[in-house]
Amino acid sequence: MSKPEAATDAGMYVSREKIHPREVKGPFQTLRNLAVVVLLGIFYGLPWLQWDGRQAVLFDLPVRQFHIFGLTFWPQDFLYLALLLIIAALTLFFFTALAGRLWCGYACPQTVWTEAFIWMERWTEGNRQQRLKLDKSPWTRQKLLRRGSKHALWVAFALYTGFTFVGYFTPITQLAGNVLTLNLGFWEAFWLLFYGFATWGNAGFLREQVCIYMCPYARFQSAMFDRNSLIISYDTQRGEPRGGRSRNVDHRERGLGDCIDCNLCVQACPTGIDIRQGLQYECIACAACIDACNGVMDKMNYPRGLIRYSTENAMEGKPARVLRPRVLIYGTLLLALIAGVLFSLTQRMPLAVEVLADRNVVYREVDWNTIENVYTVRILNKDRVAHSYVLTVEGLPGITVHTHSERIRVGAGDTDTAVVRVQVPRDAVSGPGNPFRLIMQSEDNPDIRTVNTARFNGPRG
Amino acid sequence: MTKAQLLRNLGGTLWPSFLTAAVASVVFFASIDPESLHMQTLPDWQISRMAGYTIGFFMFWGVGLASSLITLVLVSGGPRESQ
Ligand code: SF4
Ligand code: SF4
Repeated sequence: MSKPEAATDAGMYVSREKIHPREVKGPFQTLRNLAVVVLLGIFYGLPWLQWDGRQAVLFDLPVRQFHIFGLTFWPQDFLYLALLLIIAALTLFFFTALAGRLWCGYACPQTVWTEAFIWMERWTEGNRQQRLKLDKSPWTRQKLLRRGSKHALWVAFALYTGFTFVGYFTPITQLAGNVLTLNLGFWEAFWLLFYGFATWGNAGFLREQVCIYMCPYARFQSAMFDRNSLIISYDTQRGEPRGGRSRNVDHRERGLGDCIDCNLCVQACPTGIDIRQGLQYECIACAACIDACNGVMDKMNYPRGLIRYSTENAMEGKPARVLRPRVLIYGTLLLALIAGVLFSLTQRMPLAVEVLADRNVVYREVDWNTIENVYTVRILNKDRVAHSYVLTVEGLPGITVHTHSERIRVGAGDTDTAVVRVQVPRDAVSGPGNPFRLIMQSEDNPDIRTVNTARFNGPRG
Repeated sequence: MTKAQLLRNLGGTLWPSFLTAAVASVVFFASIDPESLHMQTLPDWQISRMAGYTIGFFMFWGVGLASSLITLVLVSGGPRESQ
């Protein structure tokens, strides 16, 4: 893998020429723009969506509940979060094995926000030529105006991004009110500015350097790729020897390949590399060079696809295979995990009960015949309606349970604790640690039921 | 160290430690409530959950950054490599 100019000399790193990617038109760019609009639309729109009278997606950190549409998750549901992360990682592996760095070119937040920032740059500073000229020009009123409006746009957009980010964690309508009345809490303000600053820095200034120098995924790609993964490639055989020519000459006769060496593919590249040097880890597979080159090929009346999506095998004329063990394994694992999560979500018990034994008193003799243990029972009603629960016990002869009130009523999404006294005849237990079961059941819906095992301590035999 | 290398090293240490800190915070705070942690350690300290999460996140980040920086020192300029 060769390196781009910026990387060959570490000294070039900062003083590198700022990359002004040339705007290209073509099907892949349309797709990319669409991806940017859709993804940003989801990010900025989602927190405003209401569902059942509350924010549809809200990670309510202060009360430790996650609301995702109709579902509410608690810290006890951590398993789902872990599974979700694993599914996300597997999805990434799957698509990388199949189609290379699709993620980088179309879905990575770094790419998406950079693209949005480049749009703003285009609106205010013009196209590539105009921007290059502006970079060189002295500070005139014109330059000040264009630069100033660009930065104003960037900062406003970044701040709004930070605001939206915080809106996923604090109800956004309330947050908007707080912002408008300048009544923002310290931590909210802190995260708003922090996230806004990160967006502004990453998308406005660091851009492709994040992909080249900071992204771990870019370095892992060789482990996830194989010879059948889709990559952006330049058809060397067809293109070389490259060289300028007039449209009218028969270039084959002159011993030239199809590449007219116009450099448009390099100018279009957001990471500033030359794809004609082969696959490089800086390539984020955005396909801008494909669109650029296809436009040239059309003008020259050559067939399209001098630069195209292809696989290493296909490039060498070997048969390309889509279904390979790697793809099949990732795919099967992914399907199994998703099915498992969906199934367990339908089976999810909207009730959780924790039983804690009283640590101060091991056991108490109520009378000559009865031994008592005391427990604290914590009930978490994960349902969206209130329920009354009844507690019963079983598992030891003659065991009985006494609670403060016969039913324990817990509001929707609420927790309650109850002190529970469990009594057992003296001859039914001996010594510590006799297991028994506590059964909590909802009065109105017998399907809502949990069983906890606890230990009963009696006097030594 | 040139300014270029400095920036590059900053990127290579700040960013990985940021990512690991984000994951670590999620895992840690999913199972541990900062409220109960603060009751058990510094009950006199008046802090909210939000503050707890933030402090936790930056603590993880700091630890990760320290580790990244040490790695950086170790891999650059070892005895055999000091050309
Ligand atoms: S080489 Fe082509 S596909 Fe790769 S980053 Fe550059 S323009 Fe995008
Ligand atoms: S855009 Fe196509 S023709 Fe122009 S230099 Fe690149 S590969 Fe050659």
